[in-house]
Amino acid sequence: MVTLTPIEVELLRNGLTSICDEMFLAIMKSAYSTNIKERHDHSAAIFDAAGRVVVQGESLPLHLASMLGLVEVVLERYGAENIRPGDMFLSNDPFVGRGSHLPDVAILAPVFRDGELVLFVSNIAHHSDIGGMAPGSMAGGMTEIYQEGLRIPPIRIVQDGEILRDVLDLVLLNVRVPRERRGDYMAQIAANRLGTRRLEELFRRWSRDQLVVGCDGIIDAVTRRMRAGIADLPDGEYHFEDVLDDDGMGTTDIPVVVHIRIAGEEIWLDFAGSGAQVKGNMNNSFAGLQASVLFALKVLIDPDGATNHGMLEPVHISAPEASVVNASFPAATAARAQTCQRIIDSILGALASAVPDRVIAASNGANGVATFSGTGPDGRYYLYMETIGGGAGARAYKDGTDGVQVHVTNTSNLPVEALENEYPLLVERYELIDGSGGAGAWRGGLGLRRVYRGLDHTVTFSGQGERAVHPPWGLFGGQPGGTGSIALLHDGGAREGLTIKPASLEVGPDAAVCIETPGAGGYGPPGDRDASSLEEDHRSGKYTADFMRETYGYEGPGG
Amino acid sequence: MNKSAKNPMEIHIGVDVGGTFTDFAVSIPGQNRQILHKLASSPDRPDQAIVDGLKEVLATHGLDAGNIVRFGHGTTVGTNALIQRRVGKVAVVTSQGFRDLLEIGRQIRPKVYDIHQDFPKPLVPRWLRYEVPERMRADGVVHKVLDEAAVRRVAEEMAGEEIDCVAVCFLHSHAFPAHEERAAEILRHSLGEDVSVMTSSMVYPEFREYERFSTTVLNAALLTVMGAYLDRLTKSVADLGVVVEPTVSQSGGGLMSAGYSRRYPIRSALSGPAAGVLGAAYRAKATGEANVITLDIGGTSADVSLLADGEASVVHSRRLAGFPLRLPALDVNAVGAGGGSIAWIDRDGLLKVGPDSAGALPGPACYGHGGEAATVTDANVLLGRLPSDSLLDGRMAIRRDLAEAAIDRLAEQLQMSRQVTALGIVQVACATIVKAIRAISVERGHDPADFALFAFGGAGPLHAADVAHELGIKRIFIPPNPGILCAEGLLGSDLVADLVQPSLASFGVEASETLNAARAVLERRADAWFHDENVAPPDQRGAWSVDLRYAGQNFELSIPFDATAFDPAKAAALREAFDAEHERAYGFAQAGESMEIVSMRVKLTGVLSKPPLPKVAGSAPAKPMGSRLVTFAKDEVCETPIYRRDALNSGQNLIGPAVIEQMDSMLLLFPDDRATVDRWGNLVIDLADRGV
Repeated sequence: MVTLTPIEVELLRNGLTSICDEMFLAIMKSAYSTNIKERHDHSAAIFDAAGRVVVQGESLPLHLASMLGLVEVVLERYGAENIRPGDMFLSNDPFVGRGSHLPDVAILAPVFRDGELVLFVSNIAHHSDIGGMAPGSMAGGMTEIYQEGLRIPPIRIVQDGEILRDVLDLVLLNVRVPRERRGDYMAQIAANRLGTRRLEELFRRWSRDQLVVGCDGIIDAVTRRMRAGIADLPDGEYHFEDVLDDDGMGTTDIPVVVHIRIAGEEIWLDFAGSGAQVKGNMNNSFAGLQASVLFALKVLIDPDGATNHGMLEPVHISAPEASVVNASFPAATAARAQTCQRIIDSILGALASAVPDRVIAASNGANGVATFSGTGPDGRYYLYMETIGGGAGARAYKDGTDGVQVHVTNTSNLPVEALENEYPLLVERYELIDGSGGAGAWRGGLGLRRVYRGLDHTVTFSGQGERAVHPPWGLFGGQPGGTGSIALLHDGGAREGLTIKPASLEVGPDAAVCIETPGAGGYGPPGDRDASSLEEDHRSGKYTADFMRETYGYEGPGG
Repeated sequence: MNKSAKNPMEIHIGVDVGGTFTDFAVSIPGQNRQILHKLASSPDRPDQAIVDGLKEVLATHGLDAGNIVRFGHGTTVGTNALIQRRVGKVAVVTSQGFRDLLEIGRQIRPKVYDIHQDFPKPLVPRWLRYEVPERMRADGVVHKVLDEAAVRRVAEEMAGEEIDCVAVCFLHSHAFPAHEERAAEILRHSLGEDVSVMTSSMVYPEFREYERFSTTVLNAALLTVMGAYLDRLTKSVADLGVVVEPTVSQSGGGLMSAGYSRRYPIRSALSGPAAGVLGAAYRAKATGEANVITLDIGGTSADVSLLADGEASVVHSRRLAGFPLRLPALDVNAVGAGGGSIAWIDRDGLLKVGPDSAGALPGPACYGHGGEAATVTDANVLLGRLPSDSLLDGRMAIRRDLAEAAIDRLAEQLQMSRQVTALGIVQVACATIVKAIRAISVERGHDPADFALFAFGGAGPLHAADVAHELGIKRIFIPPNPGILCAEGLLGSDLVADLVQPSLASFGVEASETLNAARAVLERRADAWFHDENVAPPDQRGAWSVDLRYAGQNFELSIPFDATAFDPAKAAALREAFDAEHERAYGFAQAGESMEIVSMRVKLTGVLSKPPLPKVAGSAPAKPMGSRLVTFAKDEVCETPIYRRDALNSGQNLIGPAVIEQMDSMLLLFPDDRATVDRWGNLVIDLADRGV
């Protein structure tokens, strides 16, 4: 067997990453779903023949976990011997396809060399709709996955290089705005073709054996980084418990519990005690749980490192079956990101005593989702979904960020001008919520307020929020941040509070939908806040004079 | 533009102000003469070095300032002011409900996995961001009329704040600027002449409000800084007897007048990296090479860019000091791989190079200034690719023993030999550069094999062959003075302006009307610019293009298309050109799919007379001045002849291996590669097939 030097492994890694980046950009620029083109909710990866992720370009945490099991399920279903050049496979199901929710559509292509299957390329993209009961396939109010959209097991979508029209037609018939979705599928297929072509070029430089050994080397390198990082954390047992508000279907106060044990270079995370699987769509698949754990660990020990299969090796995850963090069929999972956010908050909370300078207080803990659909004044049906950031937790040495996406989500907002050009909606306000960051030596970030109105027509609105009841906690004496809310603002001034997970609500043009996302917790006692930060809090208008006086005893500049 | 006046004494000057040096390229075409001059920059008052340098050049060479017909200069005044946040005081007036937009931005963090890193705080604090009731809809319908009384109240509130400039930033103003313009008018009237007022639609009329507002605020913040600088410079230069006004290099290539630069200072903020590209373009054009990838390697970074059909690629979206900037800028990709980049072993056991650099101090270990880290330069010394005794014509001593010690520390950890480690460092640095070049070529649908590599900067020529080989590039150009190319580029530049007219509409039966309307607006604005910049009709050029996308997409492709009057046939041709470009760029087209027009653009050029590149004389072939052992690859170590670059004259041919040394750069010719010196002094290398 050949061996590669550490230099050659680095050179190969560089080459593979470059190909992933290229696939990522190709999808972003040619796709139709707003989630992809503006918010970059997609990713690309290269796998070895055994199906291990070797490199993931533009690493999206939630997609990483879906990638981890993707090839395995395809191999199980078809057997490597039945996979041929020119094939591509389509998959989105959390239970039979190891996905995390239905709108994330994965397309996988085997890459052959001299007739031998040597690698795979794949990409995952969040489509604006995958069918089901509600437009956008993300709304609450559903109790099983059948209602959430079209379930696609790993099946062929391309054979002998030709798109299987029957399959594509079946898929497109089941989704809203098929014309646009077709463009998304085309963009994903074209990106895999591009990746395959680039790998074939790479084969000129690297022998088959060099590639095999090199992929091992790239994966081992990540394992070494993880092991070194875990070894850096103090050994011990840690515990934390947080609570999700509700599932939108009657279950409230759902616990998320984590027990962590660190010994040497390995870590065990057990989620025993977390709530049972719920009726609503807050359930997280095992892939989503893996993603959340890997995200939290990477944040703490190796933010700059690459992501691949090697991360998993020293990390042991266990969770009760049929629980909200490890759901079983036929649980609804569309809003699993809410639960992922809370799992991460909990892991950071558990390790606060271990690495107080690396963790942050609780962030907005939500993945605020707003979906609007309807038939606009021009007679065209439209569908629009977006996610809204909130406060980020305060840090050991600086304030938390105001109005930002946190943890597993880092998708950009859609510019108001782009939104209003494409949809018959008007954004009336988009602003920080004064006072919503928890006080502390360092304050938590502020939540966001976004107010929408349908122009001259009735819109169907669904929302998904969290932490309307259980606020984002502070650390080491920091105060909790503000809670979230969803309300209708009727013309004339009346404010009608809604639940935090309203589903398929009809809203006329004489009312606006107001979404307020949670802020974040503070860090350290408010009494330790420095004078210049206090002056900034006051002068910026982010806190009222009364609050400043009561919380900090601050009487104004020079006071 | 007095192109016809053929004064044999006429002088063209290009000045590039860098962080360390201010470089002059002076051309006197009537005498086939080029003078290069270098002096230390004066960072606190950059105009000082320009004026001093100009005096020195004129005095040393007995030139008459009155003969200067071009005085182009590139400056980093705006860039530095923004990085240091030493800028004017700006207030923002914006649509009600959107005061925090500049702070929220895109509601993202810079890196997914880094919970400690933030984007910078806005340049304008929250208390200087004012809201006024007004609202346009996307289709231009007034949703809420502008509350003029509220604008007046805002002007009163600002009165005590000593504001330098007010930026008026309303939603949808890129297409419907009426509210912005009216508010600006009221503010100008209320605030008086001491306060400048500008609108976002005037600075850059394109949709995506956060980026437009950010660009507007950056421009506003630079107004006073750039104004004061240009006032001093123009006066000092005029005092020396120069009759032409200095022109300023733009981020997107080309020059602008001092007057235009005063109004749009942000347009020069990314001109630093652009200068080298323009220098390469000037030389490439003279030699007839239309497709070129530029590679500029200095001490800390490698800058790469691409010229297709002689035109530098332009991007419209960049970040500056952490803020988004949406103006045309040359697509220069910078990566942390330069001569001073440090090699290190990561915690995963793999060898990494950069982005940390040993800088000028302490510098690479071999400089003997106390640097202990192994750098790319140290590796090159061990490989014999750099001399092991001195650099800069003997002015800087090299300590091979220190380079050896530094590399040995890494070699020991990697359990590899010294030479293999040194070679690995160079390979990893080159791989980073290759990745950067792929990002601007293959990721944009260009095959690097169709391009020549134009290498400059201190370390560009040294690594050009390795980089070219990895990318399948067959030919390398190295200019006669790789270290001073930027100033020369200013001699070959024209006045340019980029105009855009947003015209979002579906591409249906009425497409011709939409396109004709946009064209009419742009033509009026073009005429005004030519008039303002004093460009005579024979020197006026316009390159027209239309930004299109399939309905529902969000990224546009700019399709070059010049039609003074559109009709259905021309519109159909435009459609076809778009489908073809989409196929080329993304691998598929959706022919027959509905399309949208996003905007029309025109790049205006006011052609300036350009001195031809001076030609070098031919002479007898040069003889090597010595030889040394050079490691070209793992098992390829050759006794290699050394040549002096200035001894190589036009027509000289060399076959590698060879090392070519000059004051500001070192050049490596691999075994069997063939080099020749062309008429303009460029070294042209044709790479032998080295297999893979």
